[in-house]
Amino acid sequence: MAPLEPWEKVLVDEEAFGATTHGTIACTQCHGGTQSTDKDTAHAGLIASPSSMPDKFCAECHADQTTAYAGSLHATQQGYWTAINARSVPEDHPALEGMFNNHCATCHTTCGECHVAQPANVGGGLFSGHVFEKTPPMTRSCTACHGSRVGNEYLGKNEGVPGDVHFREGRMNCVKCHEGTDLHGEGLTEPQSNRYAGAEMPKCVDCHPTAAPGGDNNPMHQAHGDTLSCQVCHSVTYTSCDSCHVAVSEKSGKPFYETSATYSTFLIGRNPIQNEDRPYRYVPVRHVPVDPESYAYYGENLLSNFNALPTWVYSTPHNIQRNTPQNASCDKCHSGDSAYFLTADKVKPEELDANASVIVNTLPSAVEKYFSAPTQPADHVQHVSNSCTACHSTGIRNAPVYPEDHGAYQDDNCISCHKLPK
Amino acid sequence: MKSRILSFLIIFTFVLSACAPGSTPSPTAAEKPSETAASPEVQTPNAGTNECLACHTDKDHLIATAKPVEAAESESKGVG
Repeated sequence: MAPLEPWEKVLVDEEAFGATTHGTIACTQCHGGTQSTDKDTAHAGLIASPSSMPDKFCAECHADQTTAYAGSLHATQQGYWTAINARSVPEDHPALEGMFNNHCATCHTTCGECHVAQPANVGGGLFSGHVFEKTPPMTRSCTACHGSRVGNEYLGKNEGVPGDVHFREGRMNCVKCHEGTDLHGEGLTEPQSNRYAGAEMPKCVDCHPTAAPGGDNNPMHQAHGDTLSCQVCHSVTYTSCDSCHVAVSEKSGKPFYETSATYSTFLIGRNPIQNEDRPYRYVPVRHVPVDPESYAYYGENLLSNFNALPTWVYSTPHNIQRNTPQNASCDKCHSGDSAYFLTADKVKPEELDANASVIVNTLPSAVEKYFSAPTQPADHVQHVSNSCTACHSTGIRNAPVYPEDHGAYQDDNCISCHKLPK
Repeated sequence: MKSRILSFLIIFTFVLSACAPGSTPSPTAAEKPSETAASPEVQTPNAGTNECLACHTDKDHLIATAKPVEAAESESKGVG
């Protein structure tokens, strides 16, 4: 949205605001300052953003939210530090903290920046005359910060790419899926380390339970429901970025950044954070704008463990479609065509090591191969597990040895192809 | 005769007293509502003259008193 004029940012709607609970509280109780007709006198000691001190100004009435919020990612920005810590060594953390405070800390969000005014990071300004909004206005709050990737994808602002079906058809705002309790961090037993830590919140199958493995007759869901994240089949082209470098301007003394490239991708990679909560073997991956010299302004070789994390990362693009190019037919992925996959040739040579856990080395076999896979013997019903290779990799008890071309599938659950007899 | 007048007065007085409102116990010190001084922290915005609102609801006044915006061009390049 267009930037607000200075007066617009602070114009109070007396009638609307006065009719609200917050409107019954004296201005100076939250904002400090002094009652005076002189602006400078009135603003002496002004607290422009009281909710930057939520314990002092919000907790009395909103104790649960305030307490939980302290551990939420919007407050801690721990996602940055989880990545920075992994790629660096403790001796370099003081320099990195200086970098963080200059370039990253502005994304910290207060209660007010979701519920009463636009985030300071995007210029500030009251939403609606100082009326507090229980539901943050999507484009003036959520996507004002999460705009260049999530916002543009969700709202369909990337040329030639449709917006997310949940927005196009359902006009759903962010909190329809990302509920306030989640955003506030309520229910967390410990502070989150990044946005993908812990249970999936939200989880697609919470609203689409039949799409869960075994939940409907869709053969795609049955075959892939527990090996592919939903976005592998249902998201489309999204944004990746390269090499963000940060520095402080010699001219103005202000921090600035420079991103070397922004481009559209849709690439499926191996899941670099596969765990009980995210068991998928394959997920869409997005290139994040980091390189070994991103923070060079603040010191030499500050990301000395750069290869500890991939640069193509687990991603959840916000442009979900029912029908996508890759789910049009089986052979879109099962044809030996690498177009949809993050293969080594698509990774910069200097980033190959960092992305070893993500790069797809073996493309899915042709679909005919799956359909022609022999059915397991009936007595194998009792052996249904991932343990097929215990016998078939060495040929125990005359079991046929795993075929050579199955080398890439040794961790697979064989029954996805070798069905049990009905 | 004198005794009849006296009896009448006694009965009359008794009847009158029956119509009097029942006495209520005085509140104990603990029950008495305390008169608290109006807290300066819980005044309503509209109590008295609120200079904050007087200014921040007046668009023209805000325009007149706004500090000139310094057009600081960002040196950042690319998508943030």
